[in-house]
Amino acid sequence: MASRLATQALRELVSRWAILGALALLYLAAAILSPDAFLEPAYVGNVLRQAAPVAIAAIGTTLVMILGGVDLSIGAIISLSAVFCAVQMGGDAANVGPALAATLLLAAGLGAVNGMLNIASPGSSFILTLGSALAFYGLTQLYSGGTARGIVAPGFREFFNQRLGDVLPVLALAMLLIAAAMELVLRTTRFGRQIYLIGSNREAARLAGLPVGGVTFACYVISGLFAGLGGIAVLARSGVSSTFTGRGFEFDALAAIVLGGTVFSGGRGTIVGTVAGTLVLFIAFNLVNILGFNYNLQLVLKGAIIILASAAYAWLGRER
Amino acid sequence: MAAPAAPGRHGAALAAHRRHAALRAARSAGIWGLLVLGTMLAAVLVPGFATATNLGNVVTQSAALGLVALGQTFVIAAGLIDLSVGQLLGLTVVLTCALSDGRGELLLPVALGVLALGAVVGSLHAWLVNKLAIEPLILTFGSLSILQGAIFSYTDRSVGRAPEALRWIANERLLGWPVAGALLVLTALGAHLLLRRTRFGLRLLATGDDGESARRAGVPVARIRWGAFVLSALGAVAGGLLVAGRLGTGYPNAGQGFELDAIVAAVLGGTSLAGGRASIVGTIGAVLLLGVIANVLNLLEVSAFVQTLAKGAIVVAAIIATRAPRSQVRPGAAHAPVADA
Repeated sequence: MASRLATQALRELVSRWAILGALALLYLAAAILSPDAFLEPAYVGNVLRQAAPVAIAAIGTTLVMILGGVDLSIGAIISLSAVFCAVQMGGDAANVGPALAATLLLAAGLGAVNGMLNIASPGSSFILTLGSALAFYGLTQLYSGGTARGIVAPGFREFFNQRLGDVLPVLALAMLLIAAAMELVLRTTRFGRQIYLIGSNREAARLAGLPVGGVTFACYVISGLFAGLGGIAVLARSGVSSTFTGRGFEFDALAAIVLGGTVFSGGRGTIVGTVAGTLVLFIAFNLVNILGFNYNLQLVLKGAIIILASAAYAWLGRER
Repeated sequence: MAAPAAPGRHGAALAAHRRHAALRAARSAGIWGLLVLGTMLAAVLVPGFATATNLGNVVTQSAALGLVALGQTFVIAAGLIDLSVGQLLGLTVVLTCALSDGRGELLLPVALGVLALGAVVGSLHAWLVNKLAIEPLILTFGSLSILQGAIFSYTDRSVGRAPEALRWIANERLLGWPVAGALLVLTALGAHLLLRRTRFGLRLLATGDDGESARRAGVPVARIRWGAFVLSALGAVAGGLLVAGRLGTGYPNAGQGFELDAIVAAVLGGTSLAGGRASIVGTIGAVLLLGVIANVLNLLEVSAFVQTLAKGAIVVAAIIATRAPRSQVRPGAAHAPVADA
């Protein structure tokens, strides 16, 4: 009995810290395989900056996943946000503030649409957000006319890409700050606790009088909002605002979230895990490139990581 | 479906079963009613719709999605889902055209080869769900990515040619009837009998309704799930053969979006995403309805952007309109791990 309890506690401990261990091991392997790159602080800063858009979007979607849902429309919201923001800026530095505010409002509005749909039909978020993703892509194409549109304001990219102490790009720092803030929200606020409770047992939470509908709505709005931030981050990183800027980001985000230990059935998960999961993904992508493999192997790698990670967590989590 | 505990409960269960059956019949009748209504409206309002050639084209173009949707109906009925079908279809298109390269004598071996590959993919899915209790959604999302990566590692442009015989099956008519359409009708008939008239079909519905109860009642749940995933993969491969015949060449993006269309067709046709309820007749009606809508939008020369938007709206509306009542939502129940061999 005691040993079973100990085994269970050990599994719990392993599943909680597994992703940080995996990140450390992968980094070590990367440093050995390619010391010129991964031991260079500026290169590590680059990887952080490269991961920032996906990580920021994934942070918002983590809330939805803890709640027991999923949001596959973030790739479409990132695309629309990037195009919309570039058009609103119109190449004029004076427009940056209003453009950012309008973009975040739009992204949160799209998240609100997802929220209402998921309140109307709980338990089908996967299909619902696949459908809304299509609709949002349609909107993006209509808005952009199917090509790249809009001009980034001067100074906008320079601000986010400048390096603090010649190492850490501002964009990477922004990602870390956002992650820390959201981890705090999840750990210390009533809203955060409610998300975990609803994700663990929606029906019980409803019977206990928790505002299930309101929290669900808020989580999807936050997921949309963070996808909007992700879109702005993509724009800051690359300056390109084509129709399909964010296509496939939902894959990366979902892979990162599952890697980070957020379970698909809800009730468990952390922001730290999601950010670590994103970094594992991007270090792996960079390794694939550095080692000279075909770019398309990234897709295979991503799929394999999704499956292996969920198998590992399912194994660690059983008998609980 | 489970063994009755008491006569009263048995009566209640039977009543619930009949209510479900009635609901299912109403929904598949509803989708066919909508199909007839939509076709009549389009015939009156849309110039060029109501010609024998165009209607034949709608059927021919719907056949591939029909085969994929039939397979998807089985997995969803079993309480699972298969998101990998689109990319498996794409892989089939590329492999069939690249390997046969227009040589008719190679069609049969290549077709058998890709069907075998499909069976392997389906078996792997079943094995991973049964042994490791991975969520089918996540699992097949992952394999979608792997299959896509496999396709594009192989080629990023169209390769090879489809043999003449395959093009004939996919595009031509026999005695005025589209061959692909006839193929779909025959497959649907077989699928209907398999679901309603065989022990496998009944056990599949019981598994989807409540995996744990089905297991206790002696249903070999793991084997049923294996059958469902293999059927889904075979449907995707068969659909891929038709798409290869239609396109005539191995286009790597051919399967993009098929998974969503197939799920929507199944759900619109009265198959419950919670598992346990399915209608083959409804799925076919929904596939034809989607085909009519796409055809009308094309005839009206609606822009591709608006078509994308409309499709998304239809998906969302379909899910909202066919959602289960609150009491029927049992998240997670259908995917509980099973211990039987």
